[in-house]
This record gives sequence, structure tokens and C-alpha cells, in this order.
Amino acid sequence: MAINTALIGRSYGPFSYQVGLEKIREYAVAVAGGIPSTGFLSSGPPEGLHPWLYDLEAGAKSPYGSIVALPSFAVVFAIAPFGTACGDPELNVDLLRLVHGEQELEWFAPIKPGDTMTTTGTLTEIYSKAGKDFFVVISETQNQHGERVVKGTWTAVVRSSDA
Amino acid sequence: MTTKRYAVGDTFTLVRECDRYRPIYYAAVSGDFNPIHLDPEAAALAGLGAPILHGLCTYGWATECFVNYLGDPAKVKRVKVRFSKPVALEDVITFTGTVTAITDGVLSAELTAKNQRGEDVLKAAVVEGRV
Repeated sequence: MAINTALIGRSYGPFSYQVGLEKIREYAVAVAGGIPSTGFLSSGPPEGLHPWLYDLEAGAKSPYGSIVALPSFAVVFAIAPFGTACGDPELNVDLLRLVHGEQELEWFAPIKPGDTMTTTGTLTEIYSKAGKDFFVVISETQNQHGERVVKGTWTAVVRSSDA
Repeated sequence: MTTKRYAVGDTFTLVRECDRYRPIYYAAVSGDFNPIHLDPEAAALAGLGAPILHGLCTYGWATECFVNYLGDPAKVKRVKVRFSKPVALEDVITFTGTVTAITDGVLSAELTAKNQRGEDVLKAAVVEGRV
């Protein structure tokens, strides 16, 4: 059963997501090597974590007036069209053979607590090469002010079943 | 904050360990609970020897490495990577960036990410910042 190339051009969304302050902080802590827990056995922010990603007082004094998200936090909400495409029964992808091939994000505005993000995405490429299937979703996210926040290019690879 | 000076040829580095619980912590903060990252049986079914780290956690490390160099998280313009090898439990990844150009307010750098055996876990990784 091959991947269904007829789905090129299919769109997913819009998906809405409200950015939570503690989600921003927990994401930054986990990526920086800490335990993303507020109270239980928390050891506090890991050494070297940029204060604007975690420290509310430092964030308030920053040019952004609050903490901001590590830019890669965008994957938490901007992945929605790609995630939906991966599970689209008509695309016919074996999730156990799915690997993330490439990832590109381009940012246009900071991600701040309380922002409401709206993401849409489109399957732009579906093809087979060297016995593997590939598909690409391009996502676009705007915030509640209508500002463009992040464009994502999500490339998945599906390994062949005999690999 | 003092104004940071950037120059072509600057290098920057970050070392991150995928400790045994890192995929669990990353799943919790990202919402990606794909069992190949968490469950040894699911990983074996998928043809992997053991659970692997989320590629997007490695992507987060690459972004963090660049943020620490830029000194301002919101100056990151673009991060692009190709995932070339899975990150396994207890791998230690060294990220090294080298600034290749600063043109019209955009700083570009190439990034490598190698495990403790010197194997590239990312390829063709490029980052851009607004400076």
C-alpha cells in the first residue's frame, strides 16, 4: 500500500492554541536539561537557561515586557496540521515507520504568554525516492493581532516495510 | 544588557545529554507521546533497538544553542535541520555553530551536532538571526 499522492494540496486547520505562561517555562526547563515540574522534586531552572525564557522579573524588564518562549516552542502548536496529516487515513501512512526527516521554522514575531495562535497547513509535496515515501507540510501561524508568527516546513519520511 | 558584538568566524557551542528520562520530560512539554520515544516494546516493534529521543528535542537544543550565542531569544529568525541519525538514551550531543555571514542585519551560521562517537545527528543545519 503506497502513500496517496492524490492528497497534494490538501489543507488542515485552522487550529487554535492559547500560549500558557507555565507551558513556556516548562518547555524551556525540559530542553535546557531540567525537570519540567513546578513543585514536585523541582530543582529550579537549569544552569545557563536564558532568564527571559523563565524568570518573570527578568522577562518584565526585557524589551518584550514579559518572558518569551524559546522559539522552538512553536512546534507545540504549529505541528497541528502536520500531525493531522500524519494520521490522515487517506494519506495511508504506517506511523511506526514514520520518521521526522527535516524541520525548518522561520519566525516573524516573538511568542508570548497569553497569545492566541491560529495555525493552518497544507500538504505541498508527496513523493517516493529510493524506496521511501516523503511528504511535506507547510504551516503558517498568526497571533491574535493578525501578525505572522511562524512558518514551518515539516518533512516526514516513511521507511519501506522491508527495510 | 550591553550590546553584543557579532562577527563572521565566531563559534558557539552547547553540550546536552539525553539522560534516560529526557524523552519523557520532552513528551510532557511538547505533547508528543509517540510510544517509540517512551516504550521499549513499541520501539522494538518499530525496528529501533530502544526508545529514541524526539527529533524536535534535538531541534530545541540547536535553537537553544543559537539563542545563547545571540543573547536574545526573539532574535532567532530561522532554524533548519535534517535529522540524520537518531539520538539514543545516554547519548551526549555537542552542538557547534560557526558564523558564516552577516548581511543586511541577518546573521547566518552553520551548525553541527555530533554524538559522543563523533557521528552527526543533524546534517545541513543552518540558523539565522536578526542582529
